[in-house]
Amino acid sequence: MISKSEWEIVPLTIDPDSSKKLFFTDHEWETIEAAAARIIPTDNDPGAKEARVIVFIDRYLSGIDYVYAAADGSGFLRMSGRDATAARASNEIFKAMYREGVKDLDQLAGDFGSKNFKDSPAETQDRILEKLSGRPKPEPIRFDIHEVYYSRLQGNTDQDKTFFDTLCLHVRQGFYSDPVYGGNKDQIGWKVIGFPGPKSLKDTIDGTYTTDPYFVHDVSWPELLLDFKGVAVCKVSCATEGGVCCGELEVES
Amino acid sequence: MNKSGTLDAVDVVIVGLGAGGGPAAKVLSEAGYTVVGFDKGPWLRHEEHYSGDELKFQNRSYLWPDVKLMPRTVRSDVNSKARIFNFSPVPSNVGGGTSHMAGWTPRPRPSDFIFRSLHGDLHGASLADWPYRYEHLEPYLTKVEWEYGISGLTGAEKGAGFRSKPYPSAPLPPTRFGKAFYDACKKLDINAFPLPMSHITKDNALGREAINRTSFWNQYGDPTATRSSVATTFIPDAIKTGNFEVRANSFVKEVIVDDQGIAKGVIYVDDDGIEFRQEARVVILALGAIESARLMLLSKSRRFPDGLANDSGLVGKNATFHEYIFAVGLFDKDFTDPLYGFTGNYQSGGSMEFYETDENRGHIGGGIIATTQIGQPINMIMPGKPSWGQAAKDSDRNFFNYSMKIGFILQDMPQESNRVDLDPDVKDMWGLPVARITNKPHINDTAMSRWQINKNVEILEAAGAIRTMPVYLGDEFTGNSCHQQGSVRMGVDPRKSVLNEWGQAHSAENVFVLDGAGFPTAMGVNPTLTIMAHSWRCSDYIAKVYLKGRTEKTVLEPLKNLGRK
Repeated sequence: MISKSEWEIVPLTIDPDSSKKLFFTDHEWETIEAAAARIIPTDNDPGAKEARVIVFIDRYLSGIDYVYAAADGSGFLRMSGRDATAARASNEIFKAMYREGVKDLDQLAGDFGSKNFKDSPAETQDRILEKLSGRPKPEPIRFDIHEVYYSRLQGNTDQDKTFFDTLCLHVRQGFYSDPVYGGNKDQIGWKVIGFPGPKSLKDTIDGTYTTDPYFVHDVSWPELLLDFKGVAVCKVSCATEGGVCCGELEVES
Repeated sequence: MNKSGTLDAVDVVIVGLGAGGGPAAKVLSEAGYTVVGFDKGPWLRHEEHYSGDELKFQNRSYLWPDVKLMPRTVRSDVNSKARIFNFSPVPSNVGGGTSHMAGWTPRPRPSDFIFRSLHGDLHGASLADWPYRYEHLEPYLTKVEWEYGISGLTGAEKGAGFRSKPYPSAPLPPTRFGKAFYDACKKLDINAFPLPMSHITKDNALGREAINRTSFWNQYGDPTATRSSVATTFIPDAIKTGNFEVRANSFVKEVIVDDQGIAKGVIYVDDDGIEFRQEARVVILALGAIESARLMLLSKSRRFPDGLANDSGLVGKNATFHEYIFAVGLFDKDFTDPLYGFTGNYQSGGSMEFYETDENRGHIGGGIIATTQIGQPINMIMPGKPSWGQAAKDSDRNFFNYSMKIGFILQDMPQESNRVDLDPDVKDMWGLPVARITNKPHINDTAMSRWQINKNVEILEAAGAIRTMPVYLGDEFTGNSCHQQGSVRMGVDPRKSVLNEWGQAHSAENVFVLDGAGFPTAMGVNPTLTIMAHSWRCSDYIAKVYLKGRTEKTVLEPLKNLGRK
């Protein structure tokens, strides 16, 4: 078995402008693209459509070739062993879920008097998604209410979710993940929210990309902290010589 | 190595190469003993496998354990059926949790080691003192800070325990949300300080290069080794001795024990499914408190029919999990400078102002708080965030750079009923019963959660938040901090504990459990630094005392002036 540490890099790249479909049929592609455009709509700023979220989702659903980008973004990892088996099993579940999901969207469109989802007016599409989700369409954040929440796990996998919740998560991932995965074209998603992300994954591994300018550099610790007057320094250097410190630390501001 | 069968005996086997196994590998191989270290996961290399790829590391489980392959189950009481849940997930690879953790590495306080002496009995809980004290661990805390690489601002934490040496590396400068936290704490007369972290900064005393300032940090592997990880420090140190061998992708399924209760070694399965027997003079378990307890329960023998060294019946019991809870504040972008919640190596300012017991708060104990990242775009943390439509887009756009979070490590009280045992139905990919976690918060946990998160809300308001969102502990723990303690308790009395003060099993003298499993109480700080120092101390004992055929006891001076009524 090939260990995860030995997975080969396959030099695959994804063209965000591609209209070639690896998984979806034409109808499914257009339906999911239309739904994504309601999940992250286009306004003064671009939305899921311009970010090519549809390409991101199609490539992900196509199999297990586009699950993990190589660390430097030069391709994708060829999964192997138990991980590959588990990923293939998940992929089959997603494929069936999306196939059924598109049918459900069209069927719900029928209930609203439309022939299908993708050609329904935006307002109707929102009603259909609302119905599919089983919850009202989310309202803007309010400042005059107090709600409490309870803790949950870190990380955010797409396992064991409904079609609607999976779709929302995949659209979000396609809008904001590194462009190497086919979405977030030209870092459109990042620009919308003001995230100064790296130019490439490679820049994150070799020190090229830094967020240093976003730290605060013009304030000293004694100014900032209540009880701190300066750095405690061992004046006797006893401990650094390998001994036990005599505890005579002096403060140096 | 043979194709299968029995391998040449070594002095020591270590199962699990994370925070507990790493220091043991270093200390014992440097002392001249032959050591084999097992990890069920791969040996990933930072320069080859890690990057700032949010999707890969946070959403697609490149490092997170896949619950389909290595499930756990959870239930809230013994009468309920457990459900599959990725409870307290920790990366399964060489380095373990240290490969991707945010890296809070504050020191414990002297009070953590004498929790029962300070508080007496607490109804429904099983409080206990540790079989050693802060002063016994202090030299090892210092060793870890210097050999592993921890940054901090010496002298800034009010009420800290004695330290024999300053930090070897200065902290990172504050993030913008960190500064907002410091300013608010100052306003409220709260002692705050840059949280000690397992990373190093420029011009550190260790001569290590500090490169990573990408802010891709919590849950990511660090491609530069700026973050101190067991895989980039202790493991290479051990390999340098020529006495240490890593066996990655090797799953240990049983500790073999003879009729006298002496461990003979372990049985493990390699990546191709071939089974081997590795004999050793000493067996060290450091799989993390959940999996260490599970392996002990799986290792049934004539001498130990209820699981390895389980004469007391306590293996798996009294587990604690440190739920991570927090409050988020939203700020008005028209009146505030951006807070850039994606920046920093996750955490910035912290405080232990509310660490020691103050009974006016309505609970005993406390924990550390710190202001931490909102996260990168996909996984931006905003409780109740709209999931789709214009409201979703607006909330991302308005608050991605204008919100902040203050988190809290909840010190849960040990309870015998909060436990790890073997699930009767669910098996992992090796066909063995998985760990089943039974847990319900103690009333003190719930009270602590309420009080502290409300305090965090107050700090956010002092920082200028226009809306706050408290996230409390619910009816069950989720294990979301990935901290695990207590399941194989240390103590002085073999009827009330499984291990002694050296992490050594009372009834199986060559078995040592050197992760957080031994910790009788959870402490209010993140356990990694303490786990490493504890493992170092116990490994020193194995090398210098136990393997020389001697024994030694830790002397506990009578406690004075505890101020109890």
